[in-house]
Amino acid sequence: MSLVAVEQVTKVYTIGNAQVHALRGVSLTVDVGAFLAIVGPSGSGKTTLLNLIGCLESATQGAVHLDGQDVSRLSNDALATFRAHHLGFIFQTFNLFPVLTALENVEYPLYAKPLSRRERRRLAMEALEHVGLRDHAAHKPMELSGGQRQRVAIARAVVAKPKLVLADEPTANLDYATGQEILRLMRRINEEQHTTVIFSTHDQRVMQMASRIVGLRDGVIAEDGR
Amino acid sequence: MTLLLAVRNVFRHRTRSLITLAAIAIGGASVIFVGGFFENMFFKMRESYIKGHTGHIQVYRAGFLEKGSSRPFDYLIENPQEIVPLIREIPGVIRVTQRLQFSGMISTGDNTVSCLVQGVEPLYEPSIRQSDAQNPREDLAEVGGAVIEAGDPLDEGHPYGTILGRGLAAGLDAKVGDALVLVANTVSGAINAFDISVQGIFFTSAKVFDDHVLRMPLDTAQQLLYTNAVQTLVIMLERTEDTPRITRQLQARFRERGLPLEVKTWEEINDFYTKTRELFDRMYVILKFVIALIVILSIYNTMTMAVMERTNEIGTMMALGTKRSGVLRLFIVEGVVLGVIGGMLGVLLGSAVTSIVGSIGITMPPAPGSSITWLSKPMVVPSVLAFAFLLSLVTAVVSSAYPAYRASRLEIAEALRHV
Repeated sequence: MSLVAVEQVTKVYTIGNAQVHALRGVSLTVDVGAFLAIVGPSGSGKTTLLNLIGCLESATQGAVHLDGQDVSRLSNDALATFRAHHLGFIFQTFNLFPVLTALENVEYPLYAKPLSRRERRRLAMEALEHVGLRDHAAHKPMELSGGQRQRVAIARAVVAKPKLVLADEPTANLDYATGQEILRLMRRINEEQHTTVIFSTHDQRVMQMASRIVGLRDGVIAEDGR
Repeated sequence: MTLLLAVRNVFRHRTRSLITLAAIAIGGASVIFVGGFFENMFFKMRESYIKGHTGHIQVYRAGFLEKGSSRPFDYLIENPQEIVPLIREIPGVIRVTQRLQFSGMISTGDNTVSCLVQGVEPLYEPSIRQSDAQNPREDLAEVGGAVIEAGDPLDEGHPYGTILGRGLAAGLDAKVGDALVLVANTVSGAINAFDISVQGIFFTSAKVFDDHVLRMPLDTAQQLLYTNAVQTLVIMLERTEDTPRITRQLQARFRERGLPLEVKTWEEINDFYTKTRELFDRMYVILKFVIALIVILSIYNTMTMAVMERTNEIGTMMALGTKRSGVLRLFIVEGVVLGVIGGMLGVLLGSAVTSIVGSIGITMPPAPGSSITWLSKPMVVPSVLAFAFLLSLVTAVVSSAYPAYRASRLEIAEALRHV
């Protein structure tokens, strides 16, 4: 069964008087449990495709179905709720809240759910432990290394048990070894928790870990290798 | 979570937040200080008028205020000795004194001028020798009444001894001990004259008063006018705040007994005070408005910078499922946190500065129509403290509203690209 169905999606940005076609008719289905890499040179539309699947922006044409639901029809608030319950995000620049500790950062998505303080704390601690940062719970992001920050971000992305985790260039700001480690961690979560993961990268070595590679070029799918 | 994030975010840039808090606190403190300054000024002005001139309440024969100026002797209180005890037994009244006021001419032989004569009860009209007050130039208003700058106050033992206002004495070129002739109409219209002497020279806080008034013992004034009547009963109370209550009681008593008397409070008589108060209240409103504006701009600036710097963070929040209303709430709460802390600092700073200055005092130039300097001692007024705090809070919310709105309208994908 497919978790993600993207149908003939186009996305046009208007910058000044110029129109930029970021996606020119992309169709893609992703099955539950996939570990999918979107690859391609910069400007090929990787981020735009991830944003559309992540309900962070809407398509100019075409539809996006997530878990059987047509998300292009949802209101802003409904999309926010949908993201809170079904999606997890990992960013290139980690995007942790600098004023919160590692544990509080991981707790953040749980506030959308009706949980007690204790339960929230327990789940966040568990997620931190899972990424090997139990001892760093009280540290602020500034006190952590890049790899540690990304591991906190991973814990934050999976703590609410989303069906789908989206990661835009998760290793681009890390050295090779750390990037490998982050990818292995994401893969482990994918396998253990059956969380579907879609990530973008332009790193040849990183994409080898994917179960499926979709190549984008100039806003269209150029290759799709399972 | 919102509150936790808000508090941490406010203290993220310590220097910037401290400057913003200082702006709020100084604004609030200014409101408190100026409010306390005005309050003290009005308190002194009020008390000096009450003690030196009008008393708290005045009682006249009905009709005196309307027609008394053209026919003063048609509206006299003929039986003051029956009315005074009625007033005196009301709790809160400390003194009732009788006055008879009329115009006359005084002459030194070389010089003749018209003047306003007040026949007063020497025992009850407050006056003080300048040499008796520890620091007479400072706080005349609090001492109240007339200050004798040369000679002696009125006393019962010297029925023909009078005291002259400073300006009147200067105009006549009269000194203490000089003999004068006072001429006036009796109540029946005849002319009468007394030889009097200058027993003392006084001043009050009102220059116009000092330029025209001669005071003499009531008994002597009544002899001069061939009457036993008085014009005004002046009532002093223990506390100024009791004025409305005692006014009502007096009116009820007079009505019960069918006495044709009217009652006026110090506020109704002191038109100058009421008008000045209105003027200053209006100025105070403008000042508060200007302060509010400065505080608003200061917080607005801080919040706008915060929104700009945290664009990426706002995008992340929304990506993680925070609704637009949640972002709006976060920035409003940050404004409220600034307002509450700034407001509390303002209350502390304002109370401290006001009470320090209040304990030292600032020497002020003479008020309009007055000839003496006075000492301002700003007071800490609870209602002003509450107002200053509320002002900080409201301005904080108002000024963070628009930046918060803008933050909540950001496009997520665009905000995430912003680094």
